[in-house]
Amino acid sequence: MKRTLPLAICLVIGVSMVIQFFIPHPVSLRYNSTILTWVIILTAFALILAIGNVFVHHGHKIVKQQPGWFYSAVTIVSMVIVAIIGLFWGIGGQSLFQKIYLNILSPLAATMFALLAYYMASAAYRAFKARSIESFMLLAAAFIVMIGFMPFGQYIHPRLPDFAEWIMQVPNMASKRGILIGIAFGAIATALKIILGIERSWLGGKD
Amino acid sequence: MKWHERLTGIDRRIIYGLLTIFIIAPFFIPLKLRENIMPQTKKLFDFMESIPPHEKAVIISFDYTPSTYPECHPMAVGLLRQCFKRKIPVIGMSFDPQGPGMAVDASDYVLSEINREAASPDDSVRYGIDYVYLGYKAGFEAAILEMGENIASVFPRDHLGTPVESLPLMARTKNYKDIAIALIITAAAYPDWWVLYAQSRYGVKVAAGLTAVMAAEFYPYLQTGQFTGMLSGMKGAAEYEELMLRHNYTQELGKAERGMNSQSMIHILIILFIIIGNIGYFLSRKKK
Repeated sequence: MKRTLPLAICLVIGVSMVIQFFIPHPVSLRYNSTILTWVIILTAFALILAIGNVFVHHGHKIVKQQPGWFYSAVTIVSMVIVAIIGLFWGIGGQSLFQKIYLNILSPLAATMFALLAYYMASAAYRAFKARSIESFMLLAAAFIVMIGFMPFGQYIHPRLPDFAEWIMQVPNMASKRGILIGIAFGAIATALKIILGIERSWLGGKD
Repeated sequence: MKWHERLTGIDRRIIYGLLTIFIIAPFFIPLKLRENIMPQTKKLFDFMESIPPHEKAVIISFDYTPSTYPECHPMAVGLLRQCFKRKIPVIGMSFDPQGPGMAVDASDYVLSEINREAASPDDSVRYGIDYVYLGYKAGFEAAILEMGENIASVFPRDHLGTPVESLPLMARTKNYKDIAIALIITAAAYPDWWVLYAQSRYGVKVAAGLTAVMAAEFYPYLQTGQFTGMLSGMKGAAEYEELMLRHNYTQELGKAERGMNSQSMIHILIILFIIIGNIGYFLSRKKK
């Protein structure tokens, strides 16, 4: 019963939503709206679960004094303080919440991301070797696109930006389109497997 | 160590040091290179120019985080400035939990600039009439679909908790039929869902401002016409700033244009290092 009922709900809702898509009747549209509102509410509950999970995970580390427990304490204290500030003193443009966001979180996140430039430069120097014809072509295409998209690409040759754009519009798009079609077929197959109860991993656990 | 072996073994501290110089130097020595405008940027700009003032609203979905601020934020600022100056109503929203902070920052910046220059209250941008920010909503797939029927049912209150029916702009904007275009500024795959659910099902026009690394994935949507335009990374943002300058929306170039100088310099540096590494690699292989 624990597995049959969710599978039955999944089958009924899945099939009815597919049928609903092709029937633009007010009743059908109202049904669609109701289901979508439920989905939004359920997703919001997932956020509450995630917050609970953060507390359990980091709380466990603090209690057990595991390595790095101090960072877990910082995580929980920061989360609680920012949540309290946002809940009681507002989240407007001039609020303390927004100031914390812009002056602490924003520079920290930007710094972490900016460090990637250093790793990428070092990794590109060490790894991008033209060991075969294919890797040479990849390198050549990368150079053309990089230079063509730079502001001074047009000064090297006036047609270079157009050539870079052609690489993006033709060879790149041909491969991307193939991938997209593959993903679409995969998504249809997976959706059908879930609706028909063939794929059951989403139920989690065991009987 | 032989000289060609040195070419493949440059110390990473030298690479990091040169990179730092190449990033910082253009901020003090401006290169003044003008952007070559890509067709997808021009297409979006032209479409925005064709939207009649005071009629259909534009949705701007602020779905980026501070880590992609240099690429995405100038796009948001440019698009908001163009909408506000052309009196196109804007409805802002976010499906990324970190989006509201970026949205509030971008809108506050542009609003203060426009309202400072406004000669009369009619020239200013008024919250609720010309601009609304609806805040964050979880469950973006369902939300994008449901907004095709009723935006207010997805966002019953705005970012600060005001009921949306009390806002004049929202009272006359029921669903996608009242939207001129949805602009998705993001570093994630949200535009896919806007194309799948909003564009394909409800026919609303969609355009995206993306980080450069993502842009290649979305070119098919440009060719099919499912994207009305696209801004690719900092270059796309700089191109938009250039177009804004040419059309007198602003008197000076913005952060993206300045950032592009640094980005161009480090691209050159990376290309040089790759060439040096490959020369060293080939010479070493020849000797063996």
